[in-house]
Amino acid sequence: MKLVQLLLPFIIVTSIGASSISAFSVQAQHVSDPSLVAQGAKIFSENCGRCHNARPAEEYSKMEWSVVIPHMRAKAHMTGKEALAVEAFLGSTLTSDIRNTVSHEKSDAPKRTGAVLVAQFGCQGCHQIKGEGGTLGPALDDVISNKGEAFVLKKLANPKFNNAASAMPKYPINKEDMKAIVAFLKH
Amino acid sequence: MKKVLLQSAVTAAISMSLMTTVNAQDNSSLDIGRLAIAGYGDVTYISQPSMKDEEGNDVQNNVVARFVPIFLFQMSEKIHIEAEIEFSTNAEGETETELEYANMHYFFNNNTIITAGNFLLPFGQFGANLHPSWINKAVSNPGLYGGHGGNGSLGGITSILGDTGISIANIWDLGDVGRIFTNFYTVSGPRQEEGNHGGGVEMEAKKGDNNGSMAFGGRVAYAFLPEWEIGVSYYTGEYSDDGDLNYSAYNIDFNWIGSYASVRGEIFGSSAETEGETEPKVEGEHGEEWVKDFDKNGWYIQGTWQARQLGKAWLNPVEFVVRYSDIKSDFDGSIGHDFEEDAGKIGSRMYYGVNYWLEPSAVLKLGAESTSIDNEGAGHGGIVDDRVFLQLAFGF
Repeated sequence: MKLVQLLLPFIIVTSIGASSISAFSVQAQHVSDPSLVAQGAKIFSENCGRCHNARPAEEYSKMEWSVVIPHMRAKAHMTGKEALAVEAFLGSTLTSDIRNTVSHEKSDAPKRTGAVLVAQFGCQGCHQIKGEGGTLGPALDDVISNKGEAFVLKKLANPKFNNAASAMPKYPINKEDMKAIVAFLKH
Repeated sequence: MKKVLLQSAVTAAISMSLMTTVNAQDNSSLDIGRLAIAGYGDVTYISQPSMKDEEGNDVQNNVVARFVPIFLFQMSEKIHIEAEIEFSTNAEGETETELEYANMHYFFNNNTIITAGNFLLPFGQFGANLHPSWINKAVSNPGLYGGHGGNGSLGGITSILGDTGISIANIWDLGDVGRIFTNFYTVSGPRQEEGNHGGGVEMEAKKGDNNGSMAFGGRVAYAFLPEWEIGVSYYTGEYSDDGDLNYSAYNIDFNWIGSYASVRGEIFGSSAETEGETEPKVEGEHGEEWVKDFDKNGWYIQGTWQARQLGKAWLNPVEFVVRYSDIKSDFDGSIGHDFEEDAGKIGSRMYYGVNYWLEPSAVLKLGAESTSIDNEGAGHGGIVDDRVFLQLAFGF
């Protein structure tokens, strides 16, 4: 009882204080911010696997993730900024299509290099490249020489083809993007 | 003294949280939703042909199923509401419904979350985070959690799972050297089992507070992500109707997560004060009153290994699990009381399992466990306590 008495004044005072700061004054950084996406991928890689298999982004829609992430923020002890970064990472991998298929095979968008794509989708959140990156997935330095280009292209198109439990998201990328990533990983 | 320490810790946590002026949660970059349903479920077949109940009757093999939806509602960027309800069929074929938790998170600032309502207590890791069947790598629970889905002869330590109250959680980022998680709470607390004169403790949150005395607890953990997390938890509260008997418990948990393997474990101990009186020296008079501690403690360690490390495609979904649980209570039979069923047990339980992952959150588990009660004088002494499980578990 004493603890409740102790807690309540703090909660009331700090609630008033917090609301005066304006909770929503900072605008979200967009998912096109590669550094935020990369940070989110790293946090996703480091935190989700602490208790359970990391779940690929396409298991929920963007709107569902926006409700699930606050739940996981509390469970996994993430800060608000970390939760925001994870949302940016998840958002970057999802299309509006529930099956996450790409509808722009013939896109007018400028071609993206492999390096840009790897940064944009936060691949190093889970994979090491030249010693930098996470360890949830295997290192990618020798993946082309060990597994072959066809394997990597197939993995990018369907991450679960060789492992049903793979946490790798099915990225919204077309064949040109996939070839660019393979070319980047060759070097 | 323990309560004073906890109160001081809570005060410090709140005060330090005030130093941060970062917003609770910057605007999401996702399309904002209001409601989501997550959760888990399972279907479990249990084969236990050698098991007998206390009357010596065969214990049937059975199939049980659970569906456990979690309703998540985002009221605003600062307030999040969640509730988990378990629907299950038991071994008798009856349907059971139970509210696991229902609470509100208030994201006070970047590092602090205040939770009010009924919530899973941050006591160790298993009860708070690891018990959902698609997350729990084994089919059964660690032996020391016998009170929560346990079975057979190995009575568990009174589990500290969910209760109603308020908590404050903080994250302290130490930069490259890791981070510290703190979580302190006050809740309704334990109750005395009906008809029991002490030692019989129950944690049924739905019954509320029986003695006007709240329980206090907390967990402090150090995490060096993604591999390490080590936590220490403590819980204390008066459980008797007149508030003069205390129940306290501690837990030390650790997780190590590698790319292909994991090792986790807990050390868990509890102490319940129990009272009584000695045999009167003269018939018709009262004996001498006494208060003794009834201690239980145990530990478990669990290892998993993913066969995808071998590089064979057909082994990618396969995972192996081994767990050892150990438990003992110090009751030596000198106290004539109602909790003799668990008295003086020194036991251990081994679990071996193979998991086949169908999806990242769906798994088919085949497991076997065997229990050994080392002192035959205790209840169930000499009865074989082995079983085989087949379970389909899924998270959604």
